[in-house]
Amino acid sequence: MAGVCDTMTVLLQMKDIHKVYPNGTAANRGVDLEVHEGEIHALVGENGAGKSTLMKILFGLEAPTSGTILYKGEPVRFKGPRDAIRHGLGMVHQHFMLVPSLTVSENIVLGDEPRKGWFGLFRDRDKEWKDIAELIRKFGLKLDPHAVVDTLSVGQKQRVEILKVLYRGAKLIILDEPTAVLTPQETDELFHSIKSLVAQGYTIIFITHKLREVMEISDRITVLRAGRTVRTMLTKDTTKEEISRLMVGRDVLLRVEKQERQPGDVVLSLRHVSATDDKGVPALKDVSFDVRGGEVFGIAGVEGNGQTELVEVITGLRKATGGEVRYLNENLVGKSIGEIRSLNIGHIPEDRQTTGACLTSTIEENLVLDIYRLPAYKRGPFLNRKKLKEFARTMMKTYDVRAASEEQLAGSLSGGNLQKVVIAREMAKNPKLLIASQPTRGVDIGAIEFIHREIIKKRDEGTAVLLVSAELSEIMSLSDRIGVLYNGELVAVLDNTDELTEQEIGYYMLGIKKAEKEATAG
Amino acid sequence: MNQKRAVFLDVAGIVGSAVLAIVCGFVIILLVSDQPFQAISSFLAGPLSNAFHLSTVINKAIPLVFTGLALAVVFQANVFSMGAEGQLYVGGFAGALAALYVTGIPVWLHVPLILLCAIAGGVLFGAIAGVLKARWDANEVVTTLMLNYVAIIMTSYLVNNVFKDPASGGYARMAFFDRDLLLPKLSGTFPVHAGIFLAVAAVILVYVLLYKTKIGYELRLVGKNDKFARYGGILTKRVVVVSVMISGGLAGLAGIVELLGVHGTYKDNFSVGLGFDGIIIALLARNHPIGVLLSALFYAYLQVGGQIMQAESDVSRELAIIIQVLLVLFVSAQAVFGYLKQRAILRQRKPSGEGKVNADVV
Amino acid sequence: MPMWSNLWMQIADLTIIAILLRSMTPILLAALGGLISDVTGVTNIGLEGLMLISAFTSIAVSSTTGSWVLGVLAGVFVCVLLSYLMGFFHLRMKVDIIITGFAVNVFGSGVTVFLMNKIFHATGSYNPPNLSKIPTVDLPFIADVPILGKLLSGHSLMVWIGLISVVFCFFMLYRTPYGVHLRAIGEAPASARSLGIPVRRLQYSAFAWSGVFVGLAGAFMSMGMTSMFVKDMTAGTGFLALAVVLLGNRNPIGILIGSAVFGLAKTFETLLQTIPNSPVPSQFVQVLPYVVTIVALVVFAIRRQRAKHRTSPAAG
Repeated sequence: MAGVCDTMTVLLQMKDIHKVYPNGTAANRGVDLEVHEGEIHALVGENGAGKSTLMKILFGLEAPTSGTILYKGEPVRFKGPRDAIRHGLGMVHQHFMLVPSLTVSENIVLGDEPRKGWFGLFRDRDKEWKDIAELIRKFGLKLDPHAVVDTLSVGQKQRVEILKVLYRGAKLIILDEPTAVLTPQETDELFHSIKSLVAQGYTIIFITHKLREVMEISDRITVLRAGRTVRTMLTKDTTKEEISRLMVGRDVLLRVEKQERQPGDVVLSLRHVSATDDKGVPALKDVSFDVRGGEVFGIAGVEGNGQTELVEVITGLRKATGGEVRYLNENLVGKSIGEIRSLNIGHIPEDRQTTGACLTSTIEENLVLDIYRLPAYKRGPFLNRKKLKEFARTMMKTYDVRAASEEQLAGSLSGGNLQKVVIAREMAKNPKLLIASQPTRGVDIGAIEFIHREIIKKRDEGTAVLLVSAELSEIMSLSDRIGVLYNGELVAVLDNTDELTEQEIGYYMLGIKKAEKEATAG
Repeated sequence: MNQKRAVFLDVAGIVGSAVLAIVCGFVIILLVSDQPFQAISSFLAGPLSNAFHLSTVINKAIPLVFTGLALAVVFQANVFSMGAEGQLYVGGFAGALAALYVTGIPVWLHVPLILLCAIAGGVLFGAIAGVLKARWDANEVVTTLMLNYVAIIMTSYLVNNVFKDPASGGYARMAFFDRDLLLPKLSGTFPVHAGIFLAVAAVILVYVLLYKTKIGYELRLVGKNDKFARYGGILTKRVVVVSVMISGGLAGLAGIVELLGVHGTYKDNFSVGLGFDGIIIALLARNHPIGVLLSALFYAYLQVGGQIMQAESDVSRELAIIIQVLLVLFVSAQAVFGYLKQRAILRQRKPSGEGKVNADVV
Repeated sequence: MPMWSNLWMQIADLTIIAILLRSMTPILLAALGGLISDVTGVTNIGLEGLMLISAFTSIAVSSTTGSWVLGVLAGVFVCVLLSYLMGFFHLRMKVDIIITGFAVNVFGSGVTVFLMNKIFHATGSYNPPNLSKIPTVDLPFIADVPILGKLLSGHSLMVWIGLISVVFCFFMLYRTPYGVHLRAIGEAPASARSLGIPVRRLQYSAFAWSGVFVGLAGAFMSMGMTSMFVKDMTAGTGFLALAVVLLGNRNPIGILIGSAVFGLAKTFETLLQTIPNSPVPSQFVQVLPYVVTIVALVVFAIRRQRAKHRTSPAAG
């Protein structure tokens, strides 16, 4: 590990940063960050804690509502990425910004190519290749400058991104969730490179939620929670458990009135389900669990650990690469989306604006997505408009959708109201299995309460509810049992007793603990 | 904002764009003509000045209604099939064959058969591009454009070499159809042919199809948000193919109606860009069937106005084309304004958690 | 059979090379123009209309000023202006590129006839006498060398410009930072933007380059291949160029090959027309480029799909 920095100079100071967006969301509510030269500083926090906003502010992509930034002792306010880069900052994004058909060296120098010829119109390719070869040698980041980026592995692509910032003279390098897409071996190589950079005098800010890595590589840690800095400390003075407690502790718990219920028979049963994500990276690894009628099974976990893929596999939007999804004695794997929906499975998708609703259609058209095909609502090839309208009006009333009429365009509804439309549609078919994915994201308090009550109501009626949420308080308040996804694996299944604490769940969410494989009911 | 209001704003925008385009046309006339007022009055008033001109307008509008509907249907599914021109040739050709080579059946059976053959021709030809897109995601703009040429060239070959009426001389055509099969004119003084009834029927049918049937609901939904449609279990690929087939059928009808009403037989190169005009009509109509009817009439009105202007003044009728182009651009641009306005409304309502602000804002 | 021997004679005579180069040039130039804007991610559907407008403008200016140079420059200039306008409507006003392109095509067809009528009082075609045409290049000594002479000498200047343009475009796209930026924008605009590359500005300039090459193509049609302007004389060449762009694999050499293939098809068409009673109908040859394009497009689409399925088995 790099040298400890009690006496080192302060390179970057972000003081009391506040950022409130025009619609009222407060993403940063007083963040303090102090980074010393030559250290590896870890910035940790859950989704929504304010890390990305803070970095956007640093790079000039957003302006803070208040607060100051001092770089090398001088107050600065960067006007944009180019400006920040010029001052020696560099950011390696989580989602790479490369041009696939260009070579490694072309990508590295893109926008700042060495030139020659009159008016500097031509590429000085010799100088370019020489400079890049030198750069590669100097930092020991092994790459072939002439390789086409498309052919590189993920770890190699990341090295290109790192070289990009080094080429432009960055001294303070920010790595945003760099290990999210790396294999363990690539992670080791990355850490090796980071340590070598720091030994040469560079400073690293390492944004992550993987605490094992934080403990392994960082010198100091700043913990963000709910838009504030909770604490900054030396890594050697703390433990994973403590960090987790700081990250995950709640100030307010939304508790819903919930009676004890005896869960019924198994409705949904996953056995050894595996799947890959859009990029071909394994997203689910051998996941098995049961959900019974009359219970809420909550899936907790930091976003990006396989939750999206899990829901997609069950609802048919993604094909599993292995395993079985049994619903009332039928295997759902291989069935079409329409078939699955018609089996009385409700799905509240995590992205209501693209997948959950059609914003340019009317509320009515959004509500009737499942029923327009049913005999009761059509006459031959024709739609029974009258009946459909009645249905829509009834649904809007029952689910308290605040709108002038069912003819209103869905896009003009507020987040909460739109979500109610989605929920109305999914609940209307009296599902035996309800899958709710981030059901209250971006929704106002009043609607949140309503939605929670509806979920519990369905559970009381005997529906099996699979609740996926990044909001731990929501999981704890609604679930009877809680499963935790970490890195695509189901690392724990816990009963939601009074003794269960967020910290405990946090340990599983952050990869600190891992339960024995007892995830299924007897 | 509810749907009625959105529609009202749309219509107002289109009317405004139309007026603006015509005004621009007037400016051009003032600049190039020695007799601008004569030109303008011929252009504007000419088509309405007598029954003959009026019926010319309507006759010209009839095939445009069909091609406009064809494009409107396929645009509502968000498929950019530009193949109406080729489909109308194939459909017209198929219908012509049915007219000439099926004998011995009564007229009241024969005419529907002809129409059916034309529709089938268009449907099958359209299906080619549809399947290519659904199966292999082949860009439908290019495939339909290319298929257009294939259809035009091959039907030209067939009419020139295989089915040519020996009496036709320089301009190849098939033999004339039986008089009974042709679409009769309404009257001597108002020579609009009966295709107008078919056109209006088609408008009603397409309206019902799009807004009152299952397939219409699916088609429009796929066009508006195919992710949502897929999530709901709709087979989006199948909808794409069906939409192109419906479009092809309508285009095929355009072809045969034009042949039965105006030409009396299949003539080589009988379409003067009817398929492409359909694109403009559908755009002006914002893909709504009733709008197609109105836009086709308006468009035909401009065309006839241009012709009359050319005959009666020193301005050639291509000016009408220039106005049409300006119209398209203005309408498209204003559609964009509406869309941007809607986006602004949506953005204000969206409470973002971490704020999904794109990092590509430099 | 007299037909085949006639054909063979023309091949042996290398007349076929001359015809091929002449047929190929407008497609090649227009396709190069299309390539440059396609590389930045915007496909210029309006090549047909732009070519037509250039064909008219150049012959109009040449016949009035007596200079073919001015004519060509005028054609290019007008096309560049119009391309900027197209860029404005598409990039700024967000009009769909298909609509913008079609608008230009329809506009080109109409405005050229309109002006031909208005200015020259000609309908259908405009045939100025003693037109200053684009000259042919006769190489004095080489012209007498048996085979080489036929191959190299006697072609229109524009043919040479076309071939040189291939080299020019190659250098521009691969050996200048500007070209690298253009390619980056088309493939990964977000990445380019994150490095401060002005995406919009470069897209506009790519449109302008389109205009340059399409302008040259149009001028050649009215002042090189023929000496007149006829209504709708481009007859789909712009769309053929579009097909070449899509098939040409986004590089100038591919464009050259594609143009040559389509040019060859057109050549055969021309030759067959000169042979009386040929058994192969001209339409079969005419239709060939379009069929080839569709087949090639489908092949590419299939290959692209297979590649995608290899990396991620997402549900269909």
